[in-house]
Amino acid sequence: MDWTEKYRPSTLSEVRGNDKARDALKKWARTWDDHRDAVILHGSPGVGKTSAAHALANDMDWPTIEFNASDTRTKDVIEQVAGEAAKSGTLTAGSSGRRVVIMDEADNIHGNADRGGSRAITSLVKEAGQPMVLIANEFYDMSNGLRNACQDIEFRDVSKRSIVPVLRDVCRKEGIEFEDAALASIAEMNSGDLRGAIKDLQAQAEGKDRITEDDVISGERDRTEGVFDYLDTVIKKAGPQEALEASYDVDETPDDLINWIEDNMPKDYEGEELARAYHYLANADRWLGRVRATQNYSFWRYAGDNMTAGVAAARDGEKGGWTRYGPPSYWSKLGRTRGTRDKRDYVAQQIAETAGVSMSTARRDVMPHLSVMTHHCKNRELTVAMAARYDLEAEHISFVTGSGKDTNKVQSIVEDAAELREELAADNADGAFEGESEAPGIDDEDGPSGDDEPDSGETAAAETGGSETQTTLTGESTEESADDESATEDTADDDQQAGLGDFV
Amino acid sequence: MFNAIVSANTLQATLDSVGVLVDECKIHMEEDGLEIRAVDPANVGMVDLSLSAEAFESYEADGGLIGVNLVRLQDIAGMADSDQLVHLELDEETRKLHISIDGLEYTLALIDPESIREEPDLPDLDLPANIVIEGRDIDRAVTAADMVSDHIELGVDDAEEVFYVKAEGDTDDVHLELDTDDLIDLVVGAASSLFSLDYLKDMNKAIPADAEVRMELGEEFPVKMHFDIADGEGAVTFMLAPRIQSN
Repeated sequence: MDWTEKYRPSTLSEVRGNDKARDALKKWARTWDDHRDAVILHGSPGVGKTSAAHALANDMDWPTIEFNASDTRTKDVIEQVAGEAAKSGTLTAGSSGRRVVIMDEADNIHGNADRGGSRAITSLVKEAGQPMVLIANEFYDMSNGLRNACQDIEFRDVSKRSIVPVLRDVCRKEGIEFEDAALASIAEMNSGDLRGAIKDLQAQAEGKDRITEDDVISGERDRTEGVFDYLDTVIKKAGPQEALEASYDVDETPDDLINWIEDNMPKDYEGEELARAYHYLANADRWLGRVRATQNYSFWRYAGDNMTAGVAAARDGEKGGWTRYGPPSYWSKLGRTRGTRDKRDYVAQQIAETAGVSMSTARRDVMPHLSVMTHHCKNRELTVAMAARYDLEAEHISFVTGSGKDTNKVQSIVEDAAELREELAADNADGAFEGESEAPGIDDEDGPSGDDEPDSGETAAAETGGSETQTTLTGESTEESADDESATEDTADDDQQAGLGDFV
Repeated sequence: MFNAIVSANTLQATLDSVGVLVDECKIHMEEDGLEIRAVDPANVGMVDLSLSAEAFESYEADGGLIGVNLVRLQDIAGMADSDQLVHLELDEETRKLHISIDGLEYTLALIDPESIREEPDLPDLDLPANIVIEGRDIDRAVTAADMVSDHIELGVDDAEEVFYVKAEGDTDDVHLELDTDDLIDLVVGAASSLFSLDYLKDMNKAIPADAEVRMELGEEFPVKMHFDIADGEGAVTFMLAPRIQSN
């Protein structure tokens, strides 16, 4: 039997290590009739939040309704079950009877299985007529609205000093002999996590009647290493092998890890070693490119070797001191340049659709020329024609020409372009819709893109091709092969599905 | 051992009474009949049902307990016409229930009773007001109230000697009063409580229109509704906890 269940506290006074939180919780329950707020218990895993909630319910003699991550927690379920439980009295005592609704892992209500659940809980805590206890690891992973509607009690990590006596108690009850040092190192290993400590103790004691310190040390569990600690290891002192092996414990993919290393390594490296390190990072990047192009993830190992062992090997000697490492600036740069990139992509897409080329061609071969030709709107007529042809707004014109988007110059070009488009549309409509009054209206919207309808399939294909080239750092020409592939797929599709035409 | 033959009508009425609250339940197969007690996941609604051996065409049991998936069982029972007979037999070896309806054989896998929510104790309440009312009047009240609100107030006015139903929506209200002439019987007492319509609607589905329902009410206390099924050979009690009046 699981010792964490067997020795789960049945009353609050048995809850260990979080006296302050425990007293706050007791006070919350005692005064619930006055404030009628829900409470959020938050803290690291294994510090006793759920145990405290159940012990409290037991102390107060409140029946419990519990929801945890293994239940479906969609909006409907929460409204029906938790909602009724929180708004109704009890079967034994009517409206004055208390019942507590315990929502475990309340910071983890998302994904398809829990659609709308988070919002349903927020509105429920506001109108609940029964005490509700929400339990979360990350207080700030819950919405602001939910946090503000509830009282909150923080459960701190359980100190080693408090863990050891609990382990000693359990050993005595189980009739197991122990070395004090053994219990101390179990407590040490599980810094703050009481449940983890008890689980480790049970694993160690399995089939034995005595626990020694040697047993404990050999049975240490895998742990994840924080990325900042890892950066310290790889950049400051580790040899190639150590740097590589330590990276196995870091919870980052190579795509992210390379950014971390690339951005922080130059803070310590200089001169020759910096050049060597960049050489390895470039190798790693090339392998990552191959992974993306081929989807063969076994290449990750070569990327990993290069970015960890390579960077460590490039270093001359060891680095000392403390360096302020930070998250990759690449990410924040992506965020900052989002607006510009969106504009660029919009223009490229318009060009691609109109001209029947791929987006990357539009971006690399067409846009630079346009940019020169319409520089600062000097060639006004051409700029108007461009804006009309590609349906560009002021911000896009400003992006291509380099003129300010709020200037009169650009604004007047936008107006002229709109006029020009109308004229063109009317011209086109002459033949088809002669004499029909609504014709210009229709053409206003459909005219230019209507022109290109037959191209749209091609554009889509070209777009995929474009993004392939963009992500391939090796310069291998995947664009064509990708296109070829999709073409063959098309024919393959044709073979499988008989068309009506086949029978006529 | 369990071996019984029962009319589809009776079986369906039995299963429906429980099925409106829970998806799975424990069935006690006592020597003198079946007993089922279940409470819904929110612990707000409860059903207590007994079906005596007399309700069956033939009945043999020796006090076993099984857990069933009610949704499945209801589907199977629904395959039978109301006047057909259903043969139920428990295979102790495989822990499966064999159900046969006019040549149609269905083997239902049972659920471990341990895994089903614990059966509640039947709370012993002393409720002051007693109303005996026809099933169709409950249906009228619930249907009308459902148009305007998600909860309903049931109460007794001792001075006027009437049983009343009130539902207040955001814009519209529904009010229904039944006096001693409209009711089969009325014992007045201080009673008024608010209830969730979702539950009452479900319970109402299981109450036959021509059933005589004995309702017990109190002041902000649960309501109990007793009625018979299977020509008086089965008895059902629904119990529903009150909504907390928000102030």
